[in-house]
Amino acid sequence: MSANIRPSGVFDTSYAQEMHINRTRFDQILSAGFLGVILALPLLSRSGPFGIDLVQPGFLGTVERIAILMIAVQGLNLLVGYTGQITLGQAAFMAVGAYGTAILMRNGVTFWFALPIAALFTGLVGLIFGLPSLRVKGFYLAMATLAAQFIIPWLLRNPLAPLTNGASPLPVPRADLFGLEISGLPLYYLLIIVCLLAMIAARNIIRTRTGRAFVSIRDNDVAAELLGINVFAYKLRAFFICAVYAGLAGGLLAIEARSISPDRFDLRNSIELLAMLIVGGAGFSQAPIFGVSLLAILRETVIPSITPSLQEWLPRLLPFVDSVNINAAIAPIIFGAVLIAFLIIEPRGLAYRWEILKISWKIRPFSY
Amino acid sequence: MDILGQPGFAVLQGLVTGVLTGGIYALIALGIVIINKASGVFNFAHGYMMLLGALIFWTFFQNQQLAPVVAFALSGALLAILSTGIRYPATWTRGGRVAFIAAAWATVGFILLQTDNLFLRALVGTALGAALVGLLIERLTIRPLIGQPLFTTVMMTLVVGEVLLGITQLTWGSVDRSLPIFATVNALGLPQAYPPIRIRDVLGGTVVIKTELLIAFGIAVAAFTGFVLFFRYTRLGLSMRATAENADLAQAVGLRVRAVLAVAWAIAGALAALAATLHGSSTALSITMPGLALRVFPAVLLGGLESIGGAFVGGIVIGVAEKLGTVYFGSDVGEQLIPFVVLMIILVVRPSGLFGEERIERV
Repeated sequence: MSANIRPSGVFDTSYAQEMHINRTRFDQILSAGFLGVILALPLLSRSGPFGIDLVQPGFLGTVERIAILMIAVQGLNLLVGYTGQITLGQAAFMAVGAYGTAILMRNGVTFWFALPIAALFTGLVGLIFGLPSLRVKGFYLAMATLAAQFIIPWLLRNPLAPLTNGASPLPVPRADLFGLEISGLPLYYLLIIVCLLAMIAARNIIRTRTGRAFVSIRDNDVAAELLGINVFAYKLRAFFICAVYAGLAGGLLAIEARSISPDRFDLRNSIELLAMLIVGGAGFSQAPIFGVSLLAILRETVIPSITPSLQEWLPRLLPFVDSVNINAAIAPIIFGAVLIAFLIIEPRGLAYRWEILKISWKIRPFSY
Repeated sequence: MDILGQPGFAVLQGLVTGVLTGGIYALIALGIVIINKASGVFNFAHGYMMLLGALIFWTFFQNQQLAPVVAFALSGALLAILSTGIRYPATWTRGGRVAFIAAAWATVGFILLQTDNLFLRALVGTALGAALVGLLIERLTIRPLIGQPLFTTVMMTLVVGEVLLGITQLTWGSVDRSLPIFATVNALGLPQAYPPIRIRDVLGGTVVIKTELLIAFGIAVAAFTGFVLFFRYTRLGLSMRATAENADLAQAVGLRVRAVLAVAWAIAGALAALAATLHGSSTALSITMPGLALRVFPAVLLGGLESIGGAFVGGIVIGVAEKLGTVYFGSDVGEQLIPFVVLMIILVVRPSGLFGEERIERV
């Protein structure tokens, strides 16, 4: 089901209207308001010019990481949600982008040049691991990308260790723009703007011939081939775009975190990215907004706030539990429980629910 | 005498250790293949089921004062399964069934409560506990997904793995534990491993065979043979194969397909615990055990997703490739790279594996 479910009676009267990303006034107001709030957030924090202390600085960091992960998940959405190819290696591709950016910057290349080069290089690496999609699909392709998830970090840890510092963290220099250091507020706005551009680009890719070819491959690849679509070429294109998005996200993560190590890009991170996509709703262009926000806020805000009380009463309730272990154990359990609930109750994700909600509002008081 | 630049005895050592470890890999692969055969789900959570099973074994084996409530809970679960989940032969009278269930419950309860024979207690407790874990996973997470696309089931098993990891960390923490099953007690009252078998002066050196690894290999081969016979000759094994072949047809001839799926998961849980315990007894029990199952995925694909014999061949091949890779290139290459390179090669050359079914697709 596409993201453009519309109630009857809403017509476009001009070409510009038809091509508009937000096709109803409600959508326009909502997205403009949302963007406004996001852009205003740092002004309301302690580091802002007005000195109002409404927003915790830690929350700004969460928003930054949400913006970065949204880029990676949108790439995943193009490959998994729209083209129907399973990949378990997105975190490894992010590692390529992060290390590519970091290594170029450490060798004196400016950030503005290093980031796109690293993202394109990641795209090429993605092409290599997309090659098995010529022969295999579905589950077997998942296995091939699983191999990528192990081979790439191995390369970073062992043969490339002189460049990447091996398994230990690699410090990343500060990015700058004409002498202005990109950190704090400028970094926040940079991440929001890049994220916004990436979202719009993805939305437009989906509406082109390429995007329609992706969807037809997802729905039935044999039939797509009969329609004259070069399935393999489009699958490779999807892998390339997905990996470029991952590389972009990785590069941004490198300058946001200022230090990267291979542990940040292991299989569990890949699973987490896929989980964000599923919670958001694979195959909907708004999926990253919903999925990443929900899971990132769950992980960075909700879980730390409930952990102390859990440490208080869980050992009393279950005598075999040691309160030392709760810290490490609680995140996977809550995260897994949320995911299991989504997979069973609403595998199409929050974006699908959101569409349903909008439609039922428009056609009220009738049910259809 | 050198073989490709490495001393011959070292290569022979790698070969022997590889085959012995491969036996354990084959058991892990068997658990994955059984689930895949019966329900068409590739179980990415198998490694975490292994870790949980081995920790259950450790708890029953090492922990002298186990709360009696654990024994009651486990035997109660057995009671529930025996009284509701099994269809008894029609010739059994009602009294006979009740007597059988009561006897089984009492025996298991007694074994779990006694502390004289810890090994027996651990064996029974783990078999029950691990099978129960498998049953619960099937009932709570896999059965609701019948009819959903492949991506959803893949994701579900990955996420179940996360939850199992959380549960093991919550209960046991992330400390390494030794599991001295195949060991004697030394003068200080501490467990001591059996002395390894040394074969001297072969190809210019000594080849060492760890005794516990040899015993583990023997048990693995025995278990494997048992399962091959089980699938060939028993009623349950045959009905599992029929279900795997065509679930609708199996249902039409009166097999209880859902029960068969549940049994497949229970067996896989028990197998995971067995493999993990054997592996843990020859090295140690650590939180990194799920990584072992990831290295066995290539073995499953090499043998073919549906082939039980293939699981054995695949396990041995991956074991040997890993250990020989370690001899030639060091352990970081052998254990972290070689299995996945093999995986890529299989996928490109022959995705269905050596003995798997080729898939033909139509529009």
